[in-house]
Amino acid sequence: MSWLLALPIAIPFLTAVATFLTRDMPVGRWLSIIGSAILLAASIVLMNTVLREGVIAGQMGGWAAPFGITLVADLLSAVMVLITAIVAVAVSIYALADVDEKMERLGYHALFNMLIAGVVGAFVTGDLFNLYVWFEVMLIASFGLLVLGGRPEQIDGGVKYVALNLVSTIMFLTGIGLLYGMTGTLNMADLASAVDTADQQLLTVVAVLFMIAFGVKAAVFPLFFWLPASYHTPAFSVSAVFAGLLTKVGVYALLRMFTLVFDHDTAFTHTILLWVAGFTMVVGVLGAAAQSDMRKILSFHIVSQIGYMILGLALLTPLAIVGAVFYLVHHIVVKANLFLIAGVAQRIAGGTELSRIGGLYKSAPFLAVLFVIPAFSLAGFPPLSGFWAKFLLVKATLEIEAWFIAFIALAVGLLTIYSMTKIWAQAFWEPHPDGVEPKLSKLSTRERNAFLIPIAGLAILTVIIGTMPEPFVQFAERSAAQLLDPTPYITAVLGEQP
Amino acid sequence: MSHEGTLLIIIALLPFVGALVPGVMIRAGRTACAWFTAVPTALALIMLLILAPDVMRGEVIQAELQWMPQLGLSASFFLDGLGLLFACMITGVGLLIILYARFYLSGDDPMGQFYTYLLLFQGAMLGIVLSDNILLLLIFWELTSLSSFLLIGYWKHLPEGRQGAKMALTVTGAGGLAMIAGMLILGNIVGSYNLTDILQAGDQIKASEWYLPALILILLGVFTKSAQFPFHFWLPHAMAAPTPVSAYLHSATMVKAGVFLMARMWPALAGTDAWFYIVATTGLITMVMGALIALFKDDLKALLAFSTVSHLGLLTMLLGFGTQAAAVAAVFHIINHLTFKAALFMTAGIIDHEAHTRDIKRLGGLRHLMPITFLIGTVAALSMAGIPLFNGFLSKEMMLEEASHTKWLDSYYVVPVLATFGALLSVAYSFRFISHVFLGPVRDDYPSNPHDPPAGMWLAPALLCTLVIVIGVAPFLADGIVRAAASAVTGAELDPHLKIWHGVTPALWMSIIAVLGGLVLLLLHRPLDKAWIATPRPEAKAIFDALIMSVVALMRRITDATHNGAISRYLAIFTVASVALGWIAYSGSGLSAPTRELLPVPIVIAVGWVMLVVATVSVVVMHHHRFRALVLIGIIGLSISAGFVYLSAPDLALTQISVETVTIMLLLLALHFLPKVTPAESSGAMRFRDGIIALAAGGGVGALAYAFLMRDIETISDYHIANSYEGGGGTNVVNVILVDFRGYDTFGEIIVLGIAGLVIYALMHALLDGPAARRLKNTDYTQDRSRDRHPLMMVVVTRVLMPIAVVVGIYIFLRGHNQPGGGFVAGLVIAIALLMQYMASGFAWTQERKKIEYHTMIGLGVVIAALTGVGSWLAGRPFLTSAYTYVHLPPIEEFELATAMLFDLGVFLTVLGAVMLMLYSLSRIARSAGETVNEAAMDYDPGEHVEDAKGGT
Repeated sequence: MSWLLALPIAIPFLTAVATFLTRDMPVGRWLSIIGSAILLAASIVLMNTVLREGVIAGQMGGWAAPFGITLVADLLSAVMVLITAIVAVAVSIYALADVDEKMERLGYHALFNMLIAGVVGAFVTGDLFNLYVWFEVMLIASFGLLVLGGRPEQIDGGVKYVALNLVSTIMFLTGIGLLYGMTGTLNMADLASAVDTADQQLLTVVAVLFMIAFGVKAAVFPLFFWLPASYHTPAFSVSAVFAGLLTKVGVYALLRMFTLVFDHDTAFTHTILLWVAGFTMVVGVLGAAAQSDMRKILSFHIVSQIGYMILGLALLTPLAIVGAVFYLVHHIVVKANLFLIAGVAQRIAGGTELSRIGGLYKSAPFLAVLFVIPAFSLAGFPPLSGFWAKFLLVKATLEIEAWFIAFIALAVGLLTIYSMTKIWAQAFWEPHPDGVEPKLSKLSTRERNAFLIPIAGLAILTVIIGTMPEPFVQFAERSAAQLLDPTPYITAVLGEQP
Repeated sequence: MSHEGTLLIIIALLPFVGALVPGVMIRAGRTACAWFTAVPTALALIMLLILAPDVMRGEVIQAELQWMPQLGLSASFFLDGLGLLFACMITGVGLLIILYARFYLSGDDPMGQFYTYLLLFQGAMLGIVLSDNILLLLIFWELTSLSSFLLIGYWKHLPEGRQGAKMALTVTGAGGLAMIAGMLILGNIVGSYNLTDILQAGDQIKASEWYLPALILILLGVFTKSAQFPFHFWLPHAMAAPTPVSAYLHSATMVKAGVFLMARMWPALAGTDAWFYIVATTGLITMVMGALIALFKDDLKALLAFSTVSHLGLLTMLLGFGTQAAAVAAVFHIINHLTFKAALFMTAGIIDHEAHTRDIKRLGGLRHLMPITFLIGTVAALSMAGIPLFNGFLSKEMMLEEASHTKWLDSYYVVPVLATFGALLSVAYSFRFISHVFLGPVRDDYPSNPHDPPAGMWLAPALLCTLVIVIGVAPFLADGIVRAAASAVTGAELDPHLKIWHGVTPALWMSIIAVLGGLVLLLLHRPLDKAWIATPRPEAKAIFDALIMSVVALMRRITDATHNGAISRYLAIFTVASVALGWIAYSGSGLSAPTRELLPVPIVIAVGWVMLVVATVSVVVMHHHRFRALVLIGIIGLSISAGFVYLSAPDLALTQISVETVTIMLLLLALHFLPKVTPAESSGAMRFRDGIIALAAGGGVGALAYAFLMRDIETISDYHIANSYEGGGGTNVVNVILVDFRGYDTFGEIIVLGIAGLVIYALMHALLDGPAARRLKNTDYTQDRSRDRHPLMMVVVTRVLMPIAVVVGIYIFLRGHNQPGGGFVAGLVIAIALLMQYMASGFAWTQERKKIEYHTMIGLGVVIAALTGVGSWLAGRPFLTSAYTYVHLPPIEEFELATAMLFDLGVFLTVLGAVMLMLYSLSRIARSAGETVNEAAMDYDPGEHVEDAKGGT
């Protein structure tokens, strides 16, 4: 199984190398698309295998776990890889029109594909230190993408991004060191049982360190400041891939570690997570209410939506985890798409500051339709994917009679609706203040295709998830079952335990 | 599934399927578009009528499609009397509206979109009334909010339209969310989300402790949707929509969804005190208040909007009474209100369309100019006023009858008096509608030249008016549908007989008072209107706007205050959060006893520790002076390396020293382009605060490290030590871990390094284009520059060192697998040697002598490492599996060749390439900053002077 697990990392890596070598040639962008497409194929095969055979694991270098590094894919990992590949395909097509030759010469495609490799690496690794390595790959590649182009505000955002994320990786590293210091192992499956014999009090402290480290990555309250400080600065394709994927790696790591390893004192750890979830939802959405730039509004919404996913983890009931997994997948599709649309709006209407643009509904009705789908999905309107995501979580809160957090989740939903209507009314309905007619025909046919094909594709996916949610919910259920009972995961990695 | 069931599902889905057509078909023309909308609507209506006889007999038609059984959600529909009534209303009025809109909308309006939204709305509305599953109902419920949003904002160029749409969506959206919670609770109580189950579990629900929260949450949804006090304010603002929308959504159908739901849930929720006091009281207040405001509105549509609010209040009140007779009255009034109010809205639309104003104060005397419209408007308004022989009279009488014997708290007077007052106001505004618009003298100042519209526009309201009179004169014709619907509402077999004359009842007297009082009010309208305008009163929209504005302003303040862009603050928040959480976790139940003894502190360690602490504190204190800070950082790095040496970790020490050297050298070069001193950014108080936070964090990490070091563990490293030679072919465990056991990590790390080189290069590139480049160009470096930039001695020494360093590098590389060393260190050593050449002779000189592109070197390194891994794949082993063999090449002693070494070569190349690329980037800055470049090895060329000396002699 080793190759099946390493392939999703090797493909974007090799694509990165190839695009790096061809960075002065236009062929690089096509290589990037081809690479992403192959990655998609590989991740479908991976998903298929995991669906058929259950959790699969492979040992790097042939060293038996827990002594070498294990790659492992359960349903959660597989679906995260799959969705990453989908976003990669969408964004690499979009980049045809969004990324200029100057950025290409500076290695845009190589950085992009390395970022994808890093994200995938984080999803399939079964080793804690290796996770750290992929975090570093992601961090450095994303920093590069963030500052590519070098406008002063990009550098400013980039510095904040990298400073705060570095601190988080240091925290992560400290946590790994301490965890190794008490268990003597780095393999996550091995850790699951190794922590039982450790000092439980110290283990809780270590759990908190991990919570903080991953919390920064996931951009939860009060550790999210880097996100709104930086996400509105780079190229739109970069924003989109960040918005879709990066914070979700943090959420994934929390989901993994706090179901597999740190489940010894859930009364403490998951209560903290519950508070964090509540504050994250509220602070994020209120921050968005205060913004007037499309990308900034969307950035704050990432924060707010992360709160929902953390909520699912914090409740830790089967339905709540189902909700978290469903939310995770839905949100990647929707959020990446919204940033892609913002990019088109910027191109044809001349900006993303809401008071300076307008008229998109009249002049570009097709774009308006494409916007409505992810925007109202994010706001949780049926029958779009976001409705089910919120529905599952609210149902989970009500089932355990967590009234207050249910109220928060619903109230935040309302404020999300408010924000989306704000964008809709100002950018789409209102006439353009300068009398510009933001028509899609301003773009060349090539550009239009490059922009609209990925946007339409993701929108269709949103509608499919929304109107036919059953297989997706069933999948999330199976995935949640694996998370809540990690025995198959551990067996796949370590073999049958005595 | 029965044929009837299939038909039912088709009815529910037809509008959604049909909705796709008009939006696409607009090119076919406006009339074609209208036809494409009308056909599915008419089909749905016909199918409903096919099913109607069965339903009227009391049958309930059911159909179910499994959707998400695990969530309790199924796409199940059922049609009973109540559903039939509403479904017929929705499709029937829908047809009329389609006809009306075809003539109402102008050529500039995108009609295809309009009809698409309209069908979407129709589908959602049908879904609500046909759902047999409350979750399904919720979905349709939210869809009506959404489609209504799009329809209200249809005239997107109007700011009122946009605002009205946003407000409507916010208010009904909020209610919808509350209702989701309420419905989920309800489902939890009953254990099923099926409406039929819930309706039979009324007693169980009312006995549950969660009855009240569920009731309140559901009613929040209902009241917002049906514009009940205090959520009524959105409805008048939604009137910015085109009139067909107002007539369809905001009088006939959508706002009745709340009423529908109360009727639907009647068996499950009604009949308790809580229900009575919440629902009936809200309805009563809304009825009176809406009617009062309506009387003083000058905008025709606003008048009708508040009148709608008032009538919705009336319906709510009736359902709130909780008696069967009241339910019958409610059902009947739903039908009557639909007929006259939709007609009135269309009349208002015609007047607006023809006279170009809806302001009552600018109208009057239209009966001569628009006789047909006058007739329609008058019939409908008389019905609204509750005048006998019009249908509005009948249901109003029933309402007053019910009100007359309803006790509120202990009073028998509150409800009847207020109900009569409401009816009185209703008479007043209805008469005002007739007299101030149509009666009176013809004016000569209409904004346009009003005349009757084409038949297409008056046909629809005329049809409705016919119904008004037919039902008004022969009410028994409505017996059947009212019976079926009211029986469905109450869940009991009712047999109402609707008649005009009930004898001299209290209701009749109340009615007479209302009509007479209404006439008096109308006569007094002018002075009352002045008084009304002069009276200050809370404007709901202003409050709503102020509320939103203040929330946004508050958020902006908070967001601006916290996101002030200062990294130091973000880091402080991060650190405080970490320390606080860590402390709470640490100070829980207490730690287990340590298993290790404290060792004595050797003097060497003590000295090293003190040095480390002093250096660290000094960095903090002196960080404003960048050069000094850098030197101190060097000291810290060396102290740590020394620590590694002391603790028998030569590999780590070697790596640490090389890394330190390279980093410090690069930093020194970079420092050249920066200001020498950092400006003081924080005040003394902030520094004090940050100092405390930092100490707490440092102390925390120290305490943790102590706690861990005092406890024994078993680690996997024993395995590594045991298998290093056996399995990995090397005796240096550290190196074997790096290139074999955990080669995959190292692979990742060299990628990081490679990307870092790339990023720095890209960043420099960007910087040199931007404002930073201009600043650099204007900096004067000559002042603090040494006059001998490339001193002879340094050039000579570095040249001598170069081959030695290369040999050492190769040596370290080769021995790495068995002795301290390895590709990483080797790369750094050679990088240092090259760095020194640069420092000695300048970059241009060095650059001329390099043979390989740094980018390529990085790429090559990473690829070699990757290919090593892939190689093992090809050999059928897991990624990165290593193999090794021993080679004996005389005269060298036997050495080992491992595939891991090839991997190490990749590491070596990447490290070297990355460091050199960073150096290259820095030198680019130097050159862009206008630094002179020397092509020779030294500024001072001894050769020249020798020539000179020769020439001199």
